Amino acid sequence: MATISFDDEELFSERPDWADVVPLEQYENISPLAPIFYTEEYKDATNYFRAIAKSGEKSRRVLELTESVIRQNPAHYSAWQYRYETLLALLTASSPSGVISPSDPLLVAEIELMDILAVRFLKTYQVWHHRRLLVALTRKPQRELQFITRSLDADVKNYHTWSYRQWLLAYFGGSVDSTGDEDVSEDLWEGELDFVDTMLAQDVRNNSAWHHRFFVVWGCGVREGERDRERVFKRELTFVKQNISLAPSNPSAWNYLRGILKHTSTPFASVLPFVRPYAVVPSSSESAQRDIVDLENPPPGEGAELPCAEALEFLADAYEIQGGADGVKSAVEIWTSLANKYDPIRKKYWEHRIRDAHQALKKANA
Amino acid sequence: MTLRPVPIDGFSTPTSRTQAETEAVLLEHIPTPDPSTGEPTPKAALDKKLHMQFLVRNLVQGFPTRYTSQDASQPWLMFWTVQAFSVLQVGLDPGNKQRIIDKIMTWQHPDGGFGGGPGQAAHLLPTYASVCSLAIVGRPGPGGGWDQIDREKMYRFFMSLKQKDGSFLVAHHSEVDVRGIYCLLIVATLLDLLTPELLEGTASFIASCQTYEGGFSSASHPSYSLSGSLLESPRPPLGEAHGGYTFCALASWVLLQPYLASSSRKPEEATASIDVKNLLRWLVHMQGVEIELGGFKGRTNKLVDGCYSWWCGGAFALLEALGVGGIQNADSDEVPIDSGTGEGVWDDVDDGLYNRNALQEYILYAGQHPAGGLRDKPPKNADAYHTLYCLSGLSSAQHHVFPSKLRRSQLEAAWEASESLEEDLKKRSFTEFLSWTEEEGGSHIVGGNENRLNATHPLTNMTITHTEGLMTHFYKQTIPAKPIKAKPASTS
Ligand SMILES: [Zn+2]
Repeated sequence: MATISFDDEELFSERPDWADVVPLEQYENISPLAPIFYTEEYKDATNYFRAIAKSGEKSRRVLELTESVIRQNPAHYSAWQYRYETLLALLTASSPSGVISPSDPLLVAEIELMDILAVRFLKTYQVWHHRRLLVALTRKPQRELQFITRSLDADVKNYHTWSYRQWLLAYFGGSVDSTGDEDVSEDLWEGELDFVDTMLAQDVRNNSAWHHRFFVVWGCGVREGERDRERVFKRELTFVKQNISLAPSNPSAWNYLRGILKHTSTPFASVLPFVRPYAVVPSSSESAQRDIVDLENPPPGEGAELPCAEALEFLADAYEIQGGADGVKSAVEIWTSLANKYDPIRKKYWEHRIRDAHQALKKANA
Repeated sequence: MTLRPVPIDGFSTPTSRTQAETEAVLLEHIPTPDPSTGEPTPKAALDKKLHMQFLVRNLVQGFPTRYTSQDASQPWLMFWTVQAFSVLQVGLDPGNKQRIIDKIMTWQHPDGGFGGGPGQAAHLLPTYASVCSLAIVGRPGPGGGWDQIDREKMYRFFMSLKQKDGSFLVAHHSEVDVRGIYCLLIVATLLDLLTPELLEGTASFIASCQTYEGGFSSASHPSYSLSGSLLESPRPPLGEAHGGYTFCALASWVLLQPYLASSSRKPEEATASIDVKNLLRWLVHMQGVEIELGGFKGRTNKLVDGCYSWWCGGAFALLEALGVGGIQNADSDEVPIDSGTGEGVWDDVDDGLYNRNALQEYILYAGQHPAGGLRDKPPKNADAYHTLYCLSGLSSAQHHVFPSKLRRSQLEAAWEASESLEEDLKKRSFTEFLSWTEEEGGSHIVGGNENRLNATHPLTNMTITHTEGLMTHFYKQTIPAKPIKAKPASTS
C-alpha cells in the first residue's frame, strides 16, 4: 500500500474514483454555536468519512480516506475505529482460511505507517491504541520494544509510550502464559532492567522510569532469574539508596524506596541508618566521615542540600509506626519542623499528621 | 515567604533544568508587597470580564483552526464553555440555550451514547460532556434535550463496553481507562441507570490502578487463569500515578460506595479497598512549593499546570467522603495541637489539607492570560480546557463543599419509593450524591469577594443546582429545600 503524500492532494470531492459517494455535511439543518473553523481539506475528508461510515463500506479506499482524516486530526477516534474494522475485514477476506496472517502485506504496511504516525502524533491516545490492536494481530512484540525506546527519545516522559511498553510486556510476557502462544516468551523481559538503568542514568528524576522499574521488578509477576526475592530486594535497595545519595531531594527515588519497603512488608525502621544522615544539617565532623565507605548506607553526595524534606518525612513516618508516646513525640517534632521550616506549603498536611498521631495514641491508651 | 528553588543537590538533569526554567518564569509572576501599604502588587484580581469575552468569542464566533485537533471532542468544547459560564455565575438566554441543545442532540448515536460530533461513534467521554452540558442548558419536555436522551440504548451501549475485569472500553475497539469509567459512572448515576450488573467488579478494577506512589494510573492489566477466571495478581497498573487519572479513579471509587454498601453488592466485593493514606500523601505532594506559587503538578517530578488545580486540588473534597479531612470528619473532643506558630491547629481544621490560598494565588497570578481565558502556565496560550479547570480549581479552593449527613437524612426522609428492583441501590446513590452541600460561611476568597465563583459539586464539576435539577428529573423525586445554614457537624 502506497503511503500518500498530501502536498498536492486533490480533494475527495474532485476525484473521479470517489464520484459515487455523496458527501455528508456535519450540520445540515442547524447553524451551530461554537463552530470550529476547519480547513477545506478537513471538511472535504470528513464529509466523505461520514458518508462512508453511514454506508458501511469497508474497502481499500477507506484506508486512504481514514488516513487522510487521521493525518489532519489524529484524535479522530471514529476514523481510527472505522479504519481498524476495515482492516480486519480486508485481512480476513484476503486469507483463504479466514485466519489473519501476521505477515499479510496489508498488516505489515499498516505497522510501517504507524511507525511514522506514532512519532508524529506522540500525544494522542489513538495512535498507541491502534498499535496495540495491530500487535495483537502480528504477535511480534520484540520490534516494538526498540520502537518504543526510539520514540522515548522524542518525549522521555510520554505517558502513552510508557504505558504501551508496560502493556506489551504484560500482554506478551506475563509469567502466566494463558494463550499458549509460542511467540510469548520471557526473552521479552531480558533487557528490561538494563533499559531502566539507562533511562535513570540519563535522568535520575524521571518518574516514568522509576514507575517502570517498579512494574518490571515488582508489579508484573516474577520471571526466571528473579526468583530469589531476597536477593532482588537487596539489589533494589542498594540501587535506590545509591540514587538517593546522588540527588537526595528526589521524590521519585524516595517513593520507590517507600514502595518496595511496603510491597515486601519491610519495616521503615530497617533503613534508618541510611536515612538519618539525610535528615540533619551536616556538621564538619560528619562530612569528614565521608571518607569511610559504607556500601550499605551511601552518604549524601557533595552538593546535597540538607536536611532533605523527603528524609525528614520518612523518619517521622518510621517513628510514628514505631508508636508509643516516644515515637509519636519524635514524629511530631519532625512534622512541626516540616510545617514551619522545611516544607511550609504542606503545613496543613503536617498538622493533620500531628492530629492523627495524637488521636491514635489516645485511642491506644484508652 | 521564602522562595527557595526546588533543591538540585548540585546534580543537574533534564528534569531539574526544565524545573529551573519554569521557576524563573513563575518568579516574574509572584506579587511583591507594596512598600507603603504592604498589599500584594499587583492585586490578586480575577478578570471575570476578560474571561467572559474569551468564552463568548468561542461560543459565538467559534474556535480557530488549531482546534481541529478537538473536532472529535466537540461536546467537551461545549461543556468547558457552558460550565465556565456557570462557575462565573453567568446564565445563558433561552435562545442560545436552545441552539446549544439542538447542537448537542446531533451527537447522540443511533445505537446509544453520544459521539464527539455528528456521525461520530459513541464514546464514554463525549457522553459525559454531552449529558453534563444538557444538565446546564437543557430542560424536560419536547426539544429540551433531557427527555430525548435514549436511556435504554445508552445502558446497552455501556454494557457493550464492559470487560471481564470490571473495566470498560471508552468506545468499541478502544482503550480501557479510568477517565471512561468516571464518565460512565457519572452519567449512569445522573440518569438513574445504575444496576448491579453494570457495577460488578468495577471497584476492584479501580483499586488495582493505584500505584505504589499512592495516586492512580490510567488502567491496569488483568491476568486470567487457564479456565478464564480473573486472577487477583498480577494486575499491574499501566503508567505512573497521574493527577487526571487519580481524580477519575477517586471519584469513581466514591461513586461506587453506594453500590458497595447496598444489598446488591456481590459478597466477594466486600474486600475491595484502596490505600487512602498513601493517596492523601501523594496528593499533597503534588502541590508545588512557594516558588511555584503553590500550583499543582500532575505527576512526581513534573511541572505545575493550572488544570491540576481541579484534578488534584478538587480531589481533596472527594477524600472527605472517605472520612479524610473536613471538620465533619474530625473528633470534637480532641485537644488542639499547636505546631509552634501560635495559632491553634484546631481553629482552622476546616481549611482543608492542602494550601488553598497558595493555589488561588497560582491561578490568579500565573493562570490568567492577559488577553482572556486561563492557561497551564505562562507564557502559554489560554484554551477552553484550561479555562474551565483553572476556574473550577479556583472555585474548589474558595469553597468548602462536603457530604452533609444532615442533608442526606433530609433526602432519605423525602425519598418517594418506586417499584424498582434496585430500590436500595437507587436510594443510596441518589441521597449520597445530592448530600454534597456548600458550607455556609466556609469560603476563603483570596483577593476579596469580587473574585467569588460559584461552588461546584465535587463529583460532577457542575453547580449543585444543575446537578439537582437533572437528577430529580430522572429519579422522579422532589427534594426538600436547603436548610438556611449548612454548618458541618462534627462526629460524636
Ligand atoms: Zn494542563
